[in-house]
Amino acid sequence: MDPQLNPAITQTAASHDGPIETDAVIVGAGPVGLFQVFELGLLEIKAHIIDSLAYPGGQCIELYPDKPIYDIPAVPVCTGKELTDNLLKQIEPFGATFHLGQEVSVVRKQEDGRFHVETSKGTRLLTKTIFIAGGVGSFQPRMLKVDGLDAFNDTQVFYRVRNPAQFAGKNLVIIGGGDSALDWTLNFVQDGPNKAESVILIHRRDGFRAAPASVAKMRELCEAYEMQFIVGQVTGCEAEGGRLSGVKVTGSDGVTRVVPLDMLLVFFGLSPKLGPIAEWGLNLERKQIVVDTEKFETSVPGIFAVGDINTYPGKKKLILSGFHEAALAAFGAAPYVFPEKRIHLQYTTTSPKLHKVLGVETPVFD
Amino acid sequence: MTHVVTESCIRCKYTDCVDVCPVDCFREGPNFLTIDPDECIDCAVCIPECPVNAIVPEEDVPGDQQHMIQLNAELAKKWPSITKRKAALPDADEWKDKSGKLGELIR
Repeated sequence: MDPQLNPAITQTAASHDGPIETDAVIVGAGPVGLFQVFELGLLEIKAHIIDSLAYPGGQCIELYPDKPIYDIPAVPVCTGKELTDNLLKQIEPFGATFHLGQEVSVVRKQEDGRFHVETSKGTRLLTKTIFIAGGVGSFQPRMLKVDGLDAFNDTQVFYRVRNPAQFAGKNLVIIGGGDSALDWTLNFVQDGPNKAESVILIHRRDGFRAAPASVAKMRELCEAYEMQFIVGQVTGCEAEGGRLSGVKVTGSDGVTRVVPLDMLLVFFGLSPKLGPIAEWGLNLERKQIVVDTEKFETSVPGIFAVGDINTYPGKKKLILSGFHEAALAAFGAAPYVFPEKRIHLQYTTTSPKLHKVLGVETPVFD
Repeated sequence: MTHVVTESCIRCKYTDCVDVCPVDCFREGPNFLTIDPDECIDCAVCIPECPVNAIVPEEDVPGDQQHMIQLNAELAKKWPSITKRKAALPDADEWKDKSGKLGELIR
């Protein structure tokens, strides 16, 4: 289920007096984007981080939260979730600001050399540098591909629930077999402020990826005639007077039936799309961003690209390569942020300056 | 942005590829697998899994297999998803080294 964002947050962001001024904007809060915060932090470069998902972790969380990862140096095994949690803990001292559940929609270079960045939720930033850690793209809902259905997107066909109240008292058809589909089904069937008039759940097979407890609850509600579950695939739709009136569902018996509805909710999970990054005027090669291997800078000075989204001779899409790239990109960016300052490489083991930045005690050795 | 299953897969359908796909982008027909170009993220982990080297990145599709780019997209729209490996077709081993199998494709 999508976390519900308090509308007040969006309003506050929108009414913010002028853009947020910062040293660095990181696009993408996957493992490499998170580690970019760390590497920038050591150089005392403050960062804001933007991600289209409502939570940090990127592919690690969206594609394999529970699968073990074995190739993080000095971590023999950890899951995508553990890696994300550890990185969040590691970057805590640097107090990066997260702007989640929003995509970067505009990147424009200003005359003073800084970049104007805008997101889909109206957040505006003015930054000296940009780090694209966009991975395989931003995760977007998978669409139901049925001829003529797109015309009803956002009026009767929805891929996420932003405002549950708009579905109250309606005849709903919900499609999918994961947690989102089951959670919203239960939400709209059970008594409460958003109870629907009727709910029909459709899934292509009689087996679910969702939590077993939700599935059991759903079956219980079916037996109590509170809702219906149909096994089948949506193969067409019917419209009447400019409104979507029903979907055609082909069952496992090969028979196609029309299921009437007011609103259709589709939960087919998320799939990554490169999206607007492709239109920022950066040199691309095979839809990856071309960077140098000294600073991991793109064809636009001041914009860096790290992790799975970049390409260079010998590129391997590994998390550990992304970490390396983040370190060199941070050093590459330092002259844009501190033009007058000489940047020295220092070690977290021995540098009292870094200890101060990290908020730790400098150890005393006898 | 996709990978493409070429003709080598026809009449073999080993399905080793589907287990490793992180985004479940394989679709199954009677004697061929296809990749949904809207789902594939080009991670390339399926390539070494295929015993007949049928999968290639879109940019590397050989000249005589160019038609498979369009065919993958087209068939992916109507075939169901396959996410678990299953036995190859019974006579897969007889067909695995043959080329020019397009005429054998069952849609």
